Amino acid sequence: MVERKMNPSPITHHPLRIPAGEPDFVRKVEELSGEDVFACYQCGKCSAGCPFTSGMDLLPAEVIRLLQLGDERVLSSRSPWVCASCLACEVRCPKGVDIAKVMEALRLLVLRKGETGLTWEEIPPGVPQIALVGATRKLTP
Amino acid sequence: MKGHRNPSPITHHPSRIPYFPGCALKDQARGFERAARAAMERLGYELAELPRWNCCGTVYSLSSDDLMRHVAPVRNFIRVQEMGERKLVTLCAMCYNTLRRSADFVSADPERLRRINAFMDEEPDYAGGVEVLHLLQILRDEITFEEVEAKVERPLYGLKVAPYYGCMLLRPREVGIDDPDAPEVMELLVEYLGAEAVDSPHKVECCGAYQTVANPGIARERVQEIVGAAARRGADVIITSCPLCTYNLEHHQLGEEKPHHPSLITHHPIPVLYFTQLLAYALGVPEGELGFEDAAIDPRPALSQRVGG
Ligand code: SF4
Ligand code: SF4
Repeated sequence: MVERKMNPSPITHHPLRIPAGEPDFVRKVEELSGEDVFACYQCGKCSAGCPFTSGMDLLPAEVIRLLQLGDERVLSSRSPWVCASCLACEVRCPKGVDIAKVMEALRLLVLRKGETGLTWEEIPPGVPQIALVGATRKLTP
Repeated sequence: MKGHRNPSPITHHPSRIPYFPGCALKDQARGFERAARAAMERLGYELAELPRWNCCGTVYSLSSDDLMRHVAPVRNFIRVQEMGERKLVTLCAMCYNTLRRSADFVSADPERLRRINAFMDEEPDYAGGVEVLHLLQILRDEITFEEVEAKVERPLYGLKVAPYYGCMLLRPREVGIDDPDAPEVMELLVEYLGAEAVDSPHKVECCGAYQTVANPGIARERVQEIVGAAARRGADVIITSCPLCTYNLEHHQLGEEKPHHPSLITHHPIPVLYFTQLLAYALGVPEGELGFEDAAIDPRPALSQRVGG
């Protein structure tokens, strides 16, 4: 379990924390990433600075919001697979949430079931091996 | 206890620096390394390549439980330890980031290091304490840019250079070699070499990185924005410290496809150099030794037109 860094204000805290507790997948994302998704106050700076939003179905802040709400639709989002781990969001977040780690955790939930985010037919010829190693490490099991 | 802590707090031979090349520098980025070696030699330093180094893993694992991904970096740190050294310098920004973050990851928790050492039972234990540096830090903090300037033989007067940092030299903040929002280390280097630094708001934005494999369209869009901004500001050349940035910046400028926004590409392709190539060129290393012939966009016309060969 990740330790909460947030001020546990009864007003903002309570409605987000569903009485039965967080769904399992949210807890797993927090464990894998080491991040507290409830620290996010939805300022949107991560989404504003992310250079990859044109290919995303959920903005980075929306990914975090759906996790807060325990909404499983986040698990089938395309966004973690478009994220390039560039850390632009990480340096900007005023609440210290490392969204890149959350994106990685969402990928790992899929990859650790043996599913892949990249098939070899898609690879264009002539790309350097560091691109191939990087892509396979991030996008394949 | 198999391993032992390196007794020296600094490198034994101040002018001989343990050096981790990484895979790309032995393949498509040979000029990056050749130029670095030649430049350092002119500055009175030697890059001493680690014996039996292995790939750093390219990308740092962002998960909390993936100790396996730290084995490759730690193995390289053991090589440094065996040299009796403490510093390790890299040229590639991706290697820098992966090695530096792994060094921090294992030193943050002795239990992690203990488990990794136990796993690598064929190796001496890594005792911790290797300091991962990027060559730009050595140039700025140890050699100093004033010293570099004093050795310039071919000042780059009139050349407009747009530094491109990308991600891995700057983020996260704890491992960044400069201010992640407003870095200036490459601008300073460029100006000490006599050239004019061209600032661009996109210099710290991702080029698409490994997504060039999975989502090439987005990488192309990124590159056209980055290069378009440098071009509008009159850059003759762009410099980088990363073979993947260089590949993306070159590759996605070329090709048949139309720019995704017509205002973005209204210029001829801009050559992309490694900062070591520009440095070595200014220090007077002969052009034939700099690997310019490997560049997808030949930088020689721009250099000779401005600097006069
Ligand atoms: S920048 Fe941080 S606090 Fe703001 S929306 Fe993104 S994750 Fe939430
Ligand atoms: S790390 Fe991913 S989510 Fe964050 S800014 Fe970069 S591409 Fe966007």
